[in-house]
Amino acid sequence: MTLLRILATAFALGVAALSVQAAPLRIVIDEGVIEPLPFAVPNFIAENGGAEQYARDIARVVAADLAGTGLFREIGSDAFISGVTSFDAPVAYNDWQAINAQALITGAVQASGDQIVVKFRLFDVFSGQQLGEGLQFAGTPSSWRRMAHKVADAAYSRITGEGGYFDSRVVYVAESGPKNQRLKRLAVMDYDGANIQYLTDSSSIVLAPRFSPTGDRILFTSYASGFPRIYVMDVGSLRTRGLDEQPGTMTFAPRFSPDGNTVVFSLEQGGNSDIYTLDIGSGGLRQLTNAPSIETGPSYSPDGSQIVFESDRSGTQQLYIMSAGGGEPRRISNGQGRYGTPVWSPRGDLIAFTKQNEGRFHIGVMRVQGDEERLLTSSFLDEGPTWAPNGRVIMFTRETAGASGQAGLYSVDISGRNLRQITTEGAASDPAWSPLLP
Amino acid sequence: MSTGTIISGAGHAGLILWVLLGDLLFSPQPAPEIQVASVSLVSASQFDAMVAAAPARPAPAPEPPVTPDAPAVVAPDPITPELPQPEANPEPVALPEPPPDLPPDVPTSPEPQPVPAPDPVAPLAAEEQPIPVPTTTQRPKPRPIDRVAPTPVDEIADAPEVAETPTPAVSDQPAPEAEVVPEDVPEAAPEEAATQIITEAVETEQDAPQLAMTSSRRPQARPEPVADAPIDDPAPAVAEPTDTQDVEADAIAAALAEAMSETPAEDNGVQDAPTGPPMTGGEIDGLRVAIKTCWNVGALSSSALRTVITVRVDLAESGVPDVGSIRLTGFEGGTDADATKVFQAARSAISRCGRNGFPLPPEKYDTWKDLELVFDPNGMRMR
Repeated sequence: MTLLRILATAFALGVAALSVQAAPLRIVIDEGVIEPLPFAVPNFIAENGGAEQYARDIARVVAADLAGTGLFREIGSDAFISGVTSFDAPVAYNDWQAINAQALITGAVQASGDQIVVKFRLFDVFSGQQLGEGLQFAGTPSSWRRMAHKVADAAYSRITGEGGYFDSRVVYVAESGPKNQRLKRLAVMDYDGANIQYLTDSSSIVLAPRFSPTGDRILFTSYASGFPRIYVMDVGSLRTRGLDEQPGTMTFAPRFSPDGNTVVFSLEQGGNSDIYTLDIGSGGLRQLTNAPSIETGPSYSPDGSQIVFESDRSGTQQLYIMSAGGGEPRRISNGQGRYGTPVWSPRGDLIAFTKQNEGRFHIGVMRVQGDEERLLTSSFLDEGPTWAPNGRVIMFTRETAGASGQAGLYSVDISGRNLRQITTEGAASDPAWSPLLP
Repeated sequence: MSTGTIISGAGHAGLILWVLLGDLLFSPQPAPEIQVASVSLVSASQFDAMVAAAPARPAPAPEPPVTPDAPAVVAPDPITPELPQPEANPEPVALPEPPPDLPPDVPTSPEPQPVPAPDPVAPLAAEEQPIPVPTTTQRPKPRPIDRVAPTPVDEIADAPEVAETPTPAVSDQPAPEAEVVPEDVPEAAPEEAATQIITEAVETEQDAPQLAMTSSRRPQARPEPVADAPIDDPAPAVAEPTDTQDVEADAIAAALAEAMSETPAEDNGVQDAPTGPPMTGGEIDGLRVAIKTCWNVGALSSSALRTVITVRVDLAESGVPDVGSIRLTGFEGGTDADATKVFQAARSAISRCGRNGFPLPPEKYDTWKDLELVFDPNGMRMR
């Protein structure tokens, strides 16, 4: 009987061992770190003569783009243990892991005649894997910076999951002269301040330039006629024409609709300002608001169905949303102070604005319902936000106090981090960000 | 009284007397001695697996068993970077068409570079190189124990004896081998071998082949003369039946464990249940802290930060994660693209912080060798 017990026990053990499936040890990780991701960009490989300078410069632009977001931290080349000698050489992951480079971008450039070809690969160093496929771009030598921006956009997008914004432009008002006699003209530059081109002279005051959805036209307000009037400029040819003028009126604060066929703006008549739309093709004019208050600063939602604008109908400047076809607006701003210059995010989830409260100016964002208001900046004078194409970064004007105060362009992440000044030639204001270039 | 009554009464009386006094008057015949031998009960599939594995195990130096990690340890794919393809719409500003695809890239041989101590999960070379499978010597050595047997038992002799003794009970083959067996059995070798089974882990090279059952060593028949010889010699064992039986019960359990651990899980499709004690809260927290310090979500989009993912990873006994085993097994709260980005960050965190092994108790390896990690970034997103 004892032997039977032994056998039965052994059998039961065997059956139990065979039948029980091991459950993995389950652990929940609900906390991590938020810090710039270390990355390395060795100089790109020059695959033929004449490509050496491009290879170095493109790598530098890529690194600057990523580091400029505040989400990435470049590891300098002096820390590299090994370099990249060939575009197709296997990656010595151990060497990059040793310097804690979590992402690695390798690339190569070929330059021949009137064309250069840029190709790159992105690697997840600690996983020992390539992220996505390699890409290559071809273009004229003069567009080497754009290709560098496209490489950076691809790397940014693959790591963050968001669209990039580096291959884009910013139109702004370039200022010069003393504060009481400012000379202003329109200028366009790459988003990082490179390749500045002036679109107008400084013979008349210009304000509030805005890109079309395709980036080929610019709306702006000019005092060329002695009164503020809206003009549209073709960026390629610089041909400019004024929109239909209503006698006895002033028009300003124009913006394109998302489809580029309509312009929404403010029209002032008899001391009262309301929101209007103008069909560019037909010239048809339509009044959207009709109130004995000042309504201005309209901005379309990305789907074109709604318009946010500022109005003092409640006694102070506040933000309102109404249907794109007009109708009863609803107020969305509820905090202390005055709100103005609203701009709808390209993602459609947030509205950026300028807020003045207790002698300070702020750039802030809020949800379209008006809740979750967050102030991103605070200074003597911050105003006029514009969104990056991916809806993650805001550029605005900051002016310093005093007689020698000067306006400059700054950018900030929507988290409020990474406040940076954009380098321009002289003073600058009223930025407007283009969409991503094709 | 009638004759029938007398006879009936006598018969009943005799019956009663027999019942009452039978034990005293009629001693039972001693039952034939039952041979007691160590038996390891395994399932048919396990036995088949051991038979199949037996030829590959040379007695002195068995090959390391194929573990479930082996497939993951197989040399990873060589790094053959994808040929960059021109984007469908990358052309900036009315540019000419991109050049035709470059010819497929052939991975070049790796440059000889001094590399620090190889990371078991770090693929380096373009050429496939088998990553050495950990040898049994890397496993924890069993603790030295006091053998019950007064003298060491011949290792080679033990194995066939252990394997053969159960077979006579079921086989009908003639006896020549069986004749050998019964002579050895009474020498208490089975007991000592059983003791050895208890105390020595199968992982040692010396023990593994002895404790593994092989078909070639199975006896073929019940020995006919077994009844005489074993009756005498097992007397010492009979004298201490309790100890022997307890020892044998332990031996059975140990043999089961040995058999299960030796048998590849992939052969029978069953994973071993954790045999070690459960992880303490402190140990789990230590692992959690070790991973979260490397889990960098700063670059993730706001939508990705709303995505909760579940990741599985296998760990080596050193606590180093098998990078090739890191896999996404589920997600919720976001899109596929969001989950991919969160997974990339999680994979990097596991790889980075696990390079030198996570701080885990080796004796609980069976508990933590397979991890399921849930990464929930909701608490860190900007609201």
